[in-house]
Amino acid sequence: MTRLPATVILAAVMLLGLVAGGPAHTARPAHAAPPDEAESEDTGLYLLREAAVAARSRGYSGIRYVTVQGRTGPVTSTAEVRNLPGRGLTVRTEPSGPVQGADPGAPAGGMLAPSGAMLEVLARNYRVVAAGRGQACGRPARLAEVLRPDGTVAARYWVDEAGGPVLRREFLDGRGRVVQDSGFAELTVDPVAGDVAVPVRAAGGAALVEVSGLAAEGWSFPRMLPGRLELFAAHKALPGYLYLGYSDGLSVVSVFIQHGALDEERLRGWHAERRNGHTIWTRDPAGQETIWASGGHVYTVFADAPADVADAAVAALPHEPVPDLWTRLGRGAHRLLSWFNPFG
Amino acid sequence: MSHLGERVSALVDGELNHHERDRALSHLAFCADCRAEVEAMRALKSRLRSLDGPVMPTDLTMSLLRMAEPGGPLPPRERPFPASRTFGGAPIPSMHSVAPPDNRPRGRAGGPRRARRAGYVAVGVASAAVAIGTLFVVGGGADPGPRVPPVDMFANQHRNTVPFGGSATPTLSPTP
Repeated sequence: MTRLPATVILAAVMLLGLVAGGPAHTARPAHAAPPDEAESEDTGLYLLREAAVAARSRGYSGIRYVTVQGRTGPVTSTAEVRNLPGRGLTVRTEPSGPVQGADPGAPAGGMLAPSGAMLEVLARNYRVVAAGRGQACGRPARLAEVLRPDGTVAARYWVDEAGGPVLRREFLDGRGRVVQDSGFAELTVDPVAGDVAVPVRAAGGAALVEVSGLAAEGWSFPRMLPGRLELFAAHKALPGYLYLGYSDGLSVVSVFIQHGALDEERLRGWHAERRNGHTIWTRDPAGQETIWASGGHVYTVFADAPADVADAAVAALPHEPVPDLWTRLGRGAHRLLSWFNPFG
Repeated sequence: MSHLGERVSALVDGELNHHERDRALSHLAFCADCRAEVEAMRALKSRLRSLDGPVMPTDLTMSLLRMAEPGGPLPPRERPFPASRTFGGAPIPSMHSVAPPDNRPRGRAGGPRRARRAGYVAVGVASAAVAIGTLFVVGGGADPGPRVPPVDMFANQHRNTVPFGGSATPTLSPTP
């Protein structure tokens, strides 16, 4: 892969633009005024639906970049992607690394093709409006903006006008700063080859059937996290952990909970920091990976979200000391009573 | 007819049939040896019948009864007929006695009660331990000890999970 260094340079240029103060286009300020009556509907949602379909059904290849604004500065990563209709998306994150398959609706696939249900959640939590035309990756694009209820812009999407996938995506925080920028640095879209049957992959989505059983077993977890993050999956898996998936239609936060205490001595590559009186372990400068211990459990959080959203989600999850004997016995009695309580 | 031989015992026990008994008795009338042998056999059997049955040692009897007792005090001994025989000064149970003689030391009379009380205490302690253990386990689950999360596996699951499942319908939607 000889094109990757050039891509890195391009990503660095984009990074400079990010650091220099915001999106490349200046069509709308971040503190946009509330949309007028004509924009009150999700006039841009169809753009995202078309782009999601194209991300699966069209053939394309290129170099993707992701720049996340971390606490210590922006962090950029690149990947070579190739989508073949009917065969799926492949991703190579290292120049000489292996090629791996990925679902374009998952974070590994760049969230190029979010599920229909996820777009509905996006429309429920935000307003998605068409915002004119622009250009990204050297290609003409149609612009869709995702607005918070207060009218500020939460995200911008550049959708390929030639029927390709989303060319670029920006996440903005509540103060209008771009906190995540991802898209294609290079893109080649194959000609349309007629109708292609694209297999629909079942990829562990709305698995909430176990929630009541998990509650009966004593698991306690919120159905919502700050930032409109809704619980979309909750299930136990081997080797003995609970998986929780949250999303607001834009971001994805995964929470993994295990019984036991955190072995901090063997936690290599992670750095401790204090937040609100609690010790949190982080690995990446963008704040997307977090570990901590709470109340006899170990929490591991991975996020594909702006840093402030990820931080708010981490802060909303339990941060308790290790329970003493009496607390544990009392909790056990409470659970036993709940099992035998016909009205519980 | 030859001597009776082994038929002497059968004759004395009355086990010969009518014809054989007649022949044996005819032989005895003329055979002094066989007659003497029959008389000796009758005398021996008569003497054996006059002997008492074997007497069970007292220690063995009491040991067997203690093995069978339920743990509580033995019922009062009922002796409708006075003991007529003794062995070494101790009464020997006979076929008329309902209960064996109570020759246990008096000091053991309170033993079963204390043992029962200790049993109650042991059962209570065990029940409390089981209850506390149950609450402890239910209250927090079995503590597997310090651990390091399998972060690579978790990261892989996070990166490959499609939120809200499924995928976009692979058909082109009309542009409004």
